[in-house]
Amino acid sequence: MLRHRRPRGRLLPLAVAVILAAPLATAGSLSAFVDDEDGGELDPAKRHLRAPHDVSFEITDDDRLLAAGEDWAEVLFPRLDAEFPGRFSFDDDAEVWSDNRGEYVWDDDEEVYWQNVSAETLTRGRQDYVQFCASCHGLDGDGYGRSAQALRPPPRDFSQGLFKFTKVSPDYLPSDDALVHLIQEGLDGTPMFPWDVAEPRLRDVVQYIKSMSPEDEGWRDSTNDFGDPIDVGEDPWVGDIPAAVAEGERLYHANGCYNCHPGYLGAVAINAIQDKPADTAFRENITIPKRVEDSSYEVLGESVDIMVPDFTWHTMRRGRTPQDVARTIKAGIQGAGMPTWETFPDKTIWAIAHYVRHLTDEYHGQPAKRAAFMADVRAGH
Amino acid sequence: MKTLLDALRSRATWRWLGTGALLLMLSPCADAAMLQEAVDLPNRWGPNPSASDYGWRYDELFTLITILISVSFAIMLILLVLPMIRDRARAGHKASFDHGSSLFDKRFTATVSVIVFIVLDAWVLVIAVRDLREGYWNIPTELEGAYRVEVLAQQWSWNFRATGLDGEFGTADDVITINDLTVPQDRPVVFNLTSKDVIHSLYVPDMRMKRDANPGAVNQAWFQPITAGDFAILCAELCGFAHYQMGAQLHVLSPEDFGAWEQDASMIAVAGFDPEDTEAQWAWDWKE
Ligand SMILES: [Cu+2]
Repeated sequence: MLRHRRPRGRLLPLAVAVILAAPLATAGSLSAFVDDEDGGELDPAKRHLRAPHDVSFEITDDDRLLAAGEDWAEVLFPRLDAEFPGRFSFDDDAEVWSDNRGEYVWDDDEEVYWQNVSAETLTRGRQDYVQFCASCHGLDGDGYGRSAQALRPPPRDFSQGLFKFTKVSPDYLPSDDALVHLIQEGLDGTPMFPWDVAEPRLRDVVQYIKSMSPEDEGWRDSTNDFGDPIDVGEDPWVGDIPAAVAEGERLYHANGCYNCHPGYLGAVAINAIQDKPADTAFRENITIPKRVEDSSYEVLGESVDIMVPDFTWHTMRRGRTPQDVARTIKAGIQGAGMPTWETFPDKTIWAIAHYVRHLTDEYHGQPAKRAAFMADVRAGH
Repeated sequence: MKTLLDALRSRATWRWLGTGALLLMLSPCADAAMLQEAVDLPNRWGPNPSASDYGWRYDELFTLITILISVSFAIMLILLVLPMIRDRARAGHKASFDHGSSLFDKRFTATVSVIVFIVLDAWVLVIAVRDLREGYWNIPTELEGAYRVEVLAQQWSWNFRATGLDGEFGTADDVITINDLTVPQDRPVVFNLTSKDVIHSLYVPDMRMKRDANPGAVNQAWFQPITAGDFAILCAELCGFAHYQMGAQLHVLSPEDFGAWEQDASMIAVAGFDPEDTEAQWAWDWKE
């Protein structure tokens, strides 16, 4: 029997043509993104259109980031007991502390510890950053990635070295642990969800994010200091939550939280709490939260406004439990108009936290119940 | 007939058939058990009951296709297994081997193929096209009381924009939410979908609705919820690392609840509207 066989080589010219044309076509489509005439510089408003052409670049230089300031002993000494304890050594007369997380060099002039972050760590961190974070936070960490357009509140600009929900008291940079916890827990109601990425990888990403601080700012500013998430102690209201909610309601309105958040009591009730004449007036629309103008949130250099949460309506970013809320109240929210209430006793903070959490549990996602409740409040003004 | 009886008497035949049947029976059980553990589903086999007005179309078609392929599969199995038993090598019988290339075989194959195509595929196709025309493609307009939602997908979240009380997009009272969509019961909910970055797909399994969101184009989709409650919204197009985490909540509210919600949502939206922040005003002209 004859066997028919397709003559070899008939498709060869076509294959060659396809192989040759593919890179040309790719280059052509990429050139739409890269403006060669301006040396690769794009109109800032079109920054998000950049092709991620430098995704795989390798970092070759180690970086030096601030590791611990005056409180360095607090940061480093607890690690003496860690599973892999560190040790001191002397290198060119410089005092070096090394442990499983890295190498820290004492700077005699500035009186701080600098952390030597290896190029491999930064490269690993960058690879995960590009994969997980860059779509929103941008390849350069400017908070203006391809998917960040029109996102409100806008994603964090890492060159600011400013974070809202790390729960570290203001004037402090968040510790690595605080940043890792934030990434692991996410910010509810935003595209920053809980990232289930292995912790060692998150630590590398955190190092890379820290390395985005501009010169003399954030982790390159030796005058900065570090803080761990603020401690609010044990819940003093255990076993008596209704009392905490009642006390929290009083404290919430006694301390003027309604100047930005909504007030949840009628005018007479609030004035009674504040020992003021019953007809003292409040801000307009006290039952509607305020819009914070000129927040530190910037998009392309312009500050954007931020809405203060109404606890019966909005989702709290990082307030799943009364403890979370208490820590936010004590730490304040940097750059968003929420001051720190550090001077309050913990019991007060816990009471307000219970009250706020109660409002959310009771009315959030229950439109009819909420509408009735707020109508009652409104009737009292 | 005699060979079949021989085969049925043989212990080897039963051993093989038994093992096969056992494996077939066990595999869905194992799957179901694993699924049960993973997502804590209520104990049932099928999908969630349809919560949308046209959901029965999907369910009916799905059931029909399942029955058709099950029957075809059973017939195929019999046609495969019988000759294996009948023509196998055994004492006094050499295994027969056939190319199936005789004229009769070819005609038989062609006839069966045509019948299968006409009966099964054409049947399903006709129903599918009818469903598309009467259901999925029959998108209600604003005049027909549609509740309109603009959907802007991104890695890895859903941005929703509804008109608010004034019924117009791009105004101060537009209700903008992330990963959280509230819609009225018993009113058609119509979507305009697009994407900021890559292709996503808006998937609401309980409503039997799925539609791609493509960058640079506006796609449409709709459903009409008939049950109030909370449902899952998923992304059904692999869109990057966190695709599996790209989800949202759908709240279907009774007409009264929805009225209260829309009132409050519009009011809060107006309070939070920043007229100078033009980038945040991403609404587009509604595509009917
Ligand atoms: Cu997606």
